[in-house]
Amino acid sequence: MTVTHDKTGVPEQRRHQMRVRKRSGDLETVDVNKIVKAVERWVADLDEVDPLRVATKTISGLYDGATTAELDKLSIQTAAELIGEEPQYSRLGARLLAAYVEKEVRQQGVATFSQSIRYAHQLGLIGDETAAFVAANARKLDDAVDENQNLRFEYFGLRTVADRYLLRHPQARTVVETPQYFLLRVACGLSTNPAEAIGFYRLMSSLAYLPSSPTLFNSGTRHTQMSSCFLVDSPKDELDSIYERYHQVAKLSKFSGGIGISWSRIRGRGALIRGTNGRSNGIVPFLKTLDAGVAAVNQGGRRKGAACVYLEPWHPDVEEFLELRDNTGEDSRRTHNLNLANWIPDEFMRRVEADEDWSLIDPSDAPELPDLFGDEFDAAYKAAEKNAVKTVKARDLYGRMMRTLAQTGNGWMTFKDPSNRLSNQTGAPGNTIHLSNLCTEILEVNSDDETAVCNLGSINLGAHITDGGVDWEKLRSTVRTAVVFLDRVIDINYYPSPQAAKSNPRWRPIGLGLMGLQDAFFQLRLPFDSPAAKELSTRVQEEIFLTALESSTGLAEQFGSHPSYAETRAANGDLHHELWGATPSQTERWAALKARIAEHGLRNSLMIAIAPTATIASIAGCYECIEPQVSNLFKRETMSGEFLQINSYLVRELKARGLWTAAIREQIKRAEGSVQGIADLPSEVRELFRTAWELPQRALIDLAAARAPYIDQSQSLNLFMSAPTIGKVSSMYLYAWKAGLKTSYYLRSRPATRIQQATVSVAPAVALPAVALPVVSDEEALACSLENPESCEACQ
Amino acid sequence: MTTTPVTQMLLDPGMDLTLRPMRYPHFFDRFKDAIKNTWTVEEVDLHSDLADLQRLSPAEQHLVSRLVAFFATGDTIVANNLVLNLYQHVNSPEGRLYLSRQLFEEAVHVQFYLNLLDTYVPDERERFEAFAAVENIPSIARKAEFCFKWIDSIYSVRELKTREDRRAFLLNVICFAACIEGLFFYGAFAYVYYLRSRGVLQGLASGTNWVFRDESMHMAFAFDVVDTVRQEEPDLFDAAMEQQVRDMLSEAVECEVQFAEDLLEQGVSGMSLADMREYLQHVADRRLSALGIDPIYGSKNPFAFMELQDVQELSNFFERRVSAYQVGVTGSVSFDDDF
Repeated sequence: MTVTHDKTGVPEQRRHQMRVRKRSGDLETVDVNKIVKAVERWVADLDEVDPLRVATKTISGLYDGATTAELDKLSIQTAAELIGEEPQYSRLGARLLAAYVEKEVRQQGVATFSQSIRYAHQLGLIGDETAAFVAANARKLDDAVDENQNLRFEYFGLRTVADRYLLRHPQARTVVETPQYFLLRVACGLSTNPAEAIGFYRLMSSLAYLPSSPTLFNSGTRHTQMSSCFLVDSPKDELDSIYERYHQVAKLSKFSGGIGISWSRIRGRGALIRGTNGRSNGIVPFLKTLDAGVAAVNQGGRRKGAACVYLEPWHPDVEEFLELRDNTGEDSRRTHNLNLANWIPDEFMRRVEADEDWSLIDPSDAPELPDLFGDEFDAAYKAAEKNAVKTVKARDLYGRMMRTLAQTGNGWMTFKDPSNRLSNQTGAPGNTIHLSNLCTEILEVNSDDETAVCNLGSINLGAHITDGGVDWEKLRSTVRTAVVFLDRVIDINYYPSPQAAKSNPRWRPIGLGLMGLQDAFFQLRLPFDSPAAKELSTRVQEEIFLTALESSTGLAEQFGSHPSYAETRAANGDLHHELWGATPSQTERWAALKARIAEHGLRNSLMIAIAPTATIASIAGCYECIEPQVSNLFKRETMSGEFLQINSYLVRELKARGLWTAAIREQIKRAEGSVQGIADLPSEVRELFRTAWELPQRALIDLAAARAPYIDQSQSLNLFMSAPTIGKVSSMYLYAWKAGLKTSYYLRSRPATRIQQATVSVAPAVALPAVALPVVSDEEALACSLENPESCEACQ
Repeated sequence: MTTTPVTQMLLDPGMDLTLRPMRYPHFFDRFKDAIKNTWTVEEVDLHSDLADLQRLSPAEQHLVSRLVAFFATGDTIVANNLVLNLYQHVNSPEGRLYLSRQLFEEAVHVQFYLNLLDTYVPDERERFEAFAAVENIPSIARKAEFCFKWIDSIYSVRELKTREDRRAFLLNVICFAACIEGLFFYGAFAYVYYLRSRGVLQGLASGTNWVFRDESMHMAFAFDVVDTVRQEEPDLFDAAMEQQVRDMLSEAVECEVQFAEDLLEQGVSGMSLADMREYLQHVADRRLSALGIDPIYGSKNPFAFMELQDVQELSNFFERRVSAYQVGVTGSVSFDDDF
């Protein structure tokens, strides 16, 4: 290959001769027409796609002597890179990728679903039961595979599936199943007959519902650990118990579970150790060990382990706890891999509000505190204050919590009292919820010898909208199928620890969630903070909860209620929304349901949890759970690479108005995905397409509170603030607590400065601060206006 | 609003110590913003990179080893120029606050790439070779020569007394901002993000993200200095100086293209030499535009994966650490703020 040194600056001529190396080893001149034809095959309904563009761009990125496999991969990548200009390239990229995957599977001699299962079973990947089930029903199952369902995938979704969900040959690392085989394999792993399996497969392949990642990873395989969440009680205040927890967390983590673990029972720094007559170093060194343990466990090579530590704010080490994620200070007192959450009793919030003192109490002086909530906790806490290790101003500690949230996004605010008071599982004395999970949507009782478990799945609401409204019948049908298969997991599941195996069959909790709420709002043209949006979201949640309970009592009628049913509030006739004091809309169905529950009980102690759905929403191609869109244009960074995501609803809108131009695209990019500055868009359209950063956060909390009566566990509620200040954040979380939320999740903020944009055109040099747009907080705006009132852009 | 008339200019020799009244509050703002972006090397997790390195093709491995060799010394050169030249002549205490901060950031970058090399190159002898690249590998040595030429051009000047001194200083500032941080590093970032877009070497990419963010700020500050001098002493900027800047950027592009020839010599699919040349020309044009000088090449960015760097990131926290949080949040507890 010769390179011309070109000093005149005239763009260099493309090299004429470009050759690829075929599988046979022969070199062949690259033919644009051949690539065009290969692309055209998949264009079908994609009328905005230009195959020649993909072909020429592919060749321009190629080097002389590349292999045909490299050429195929590059054409997929090239198609995907055009998504920013035209979203249809996302579908094209997905189809080219599906073809590539299929070729890889076929080359191993796999022509049908049943052959892929037999092959993967021989390779030691598929469990015996699933292999036998598929062998016995091979023809029916093979006929059910519908490769046309691949047309539904967006590029990012299918890329995720291909890179991380499809089973791979243990040595060659080639994929041994196609995307459709994968979904059917998941269905077969949970089914008792082919009709059931095919029905469940069809639901999943329509992308209207997806189980959580552990189920997708492991169903039908030799290791059927399909639960997402484990809630581990705090170790007892002794060394053996602490090390047992490390071991348990490692085992749970290995099989794709996310861990919540409390640390509230461990004595604080300076407390006496009787055995040695020494003083304790407190919780931080132990959490440092946990941190290292979590990082070491790789979840089957697919993602890193993850855990969240919960601590109650009366613990003497709470201030050091809040610094664990700081990126300055002594590294031996930092835990970069652990997430942190505060498990907060109401008494603390009351004292914050009243500006009173708050006592830090050593657990060795009041070992009962973690097990108490409500009035009993308040009384015990007040009694223990006599022996307080230290007294602080409640507001100072609250301010520290807010600072941690604003600076690290971590240190989630979760509320112990409403979590317990409003739970079906705390109907009998002694049953206490000690923490939430890694994503703050699961609230289940546990104890030293019972680790709570939950398996999850989420309905894609965007796929349940027709003719200007929700398709209620379709939604009910989806819920019914989902509940059966979530319940099924409990019996088939492999439990990585005996504590988990003990808890789950007793309580049989499930977590049916929701994703694509933002898609539904876009389709129905409802601004996220409109009253109609709140009404719809509440109504949908009621329908899901009601139908889920109907299904569960139906299962109880068939198989009996769950063993600990007598300990639940439902057994006393109190359902979750009644504990909340909400007035439902479907009074007759609720009355009928209550009568059936009184007769048969419930198969599951808990039904609903809104998980973050980070990965499965990507697969389904919808917005995450109950979240507003973060941006009209953003990139996702995952283990599979970086991916541009564009709001296709907005693109449609702009196209209809003739506004989908290079200039507008650049404007949106420059504004980091905001359309608020596009004057040609009518105000109601700009209102519809606001981002999470542009919505009042009060509305997000109000929506969450309105649907909360129909969520018997909780919801992963992220809040967004571009430039957080302690004042704003503290006001927001007090409001969230008063609204009755049980839990909240990340506080998302944006970097203070950003990378200079490399591909939007440069602003002329005259204006001084033209390059990086700093995020300006209130205090800064004030400071800069005092120093420099003329040139401060933030105030204009 | 200014009540104090401007009696002193930014490049006037001396050691101004007066922060009130503040002559250049925009420098101070940049200082404050930079502090919010504090990150530490310990936050970057390189463990998955080691597995990726094994998976790379020989051509890609060659690319990475050259790239890392460049990083080994690149930031140190920039830090040296900062201390030897910039800090001395930017006579504004708030400007020097920013430069102190920048120096700290360069040191963190040096530490990051040191850590990276120690991780990527376990063999001690190979590690020494990587650090010696600046002398032994011709494509890197040529870039270093270019840098030293511009450091040396004003190294002996103790005070910027004459217009010629000041022009020489401005060329040094522009060289480091537009050519070294703004082109050499931007070239290097393109390779990193190319790999990132293929889903490999995420540790390198996430650290580089932060380095990139810092470098963007350094460049912006340097251009701010240039613009400030332009306002104070417009007659320093004439056609001859423009031509010098254009020549300097052309030379920088050639230096970087010969580096690309070395990196890509074995053929990397999705990153052809022709595309890389076009990208570098495009970046050079942008630097010229930012300086108010007509572009030379009229080239477009051919790399879609670089466009990905311009949009907001959203990480799946299960997989990667989100790099978007702030350090230095202010205010006190209150219950009636709007949110």
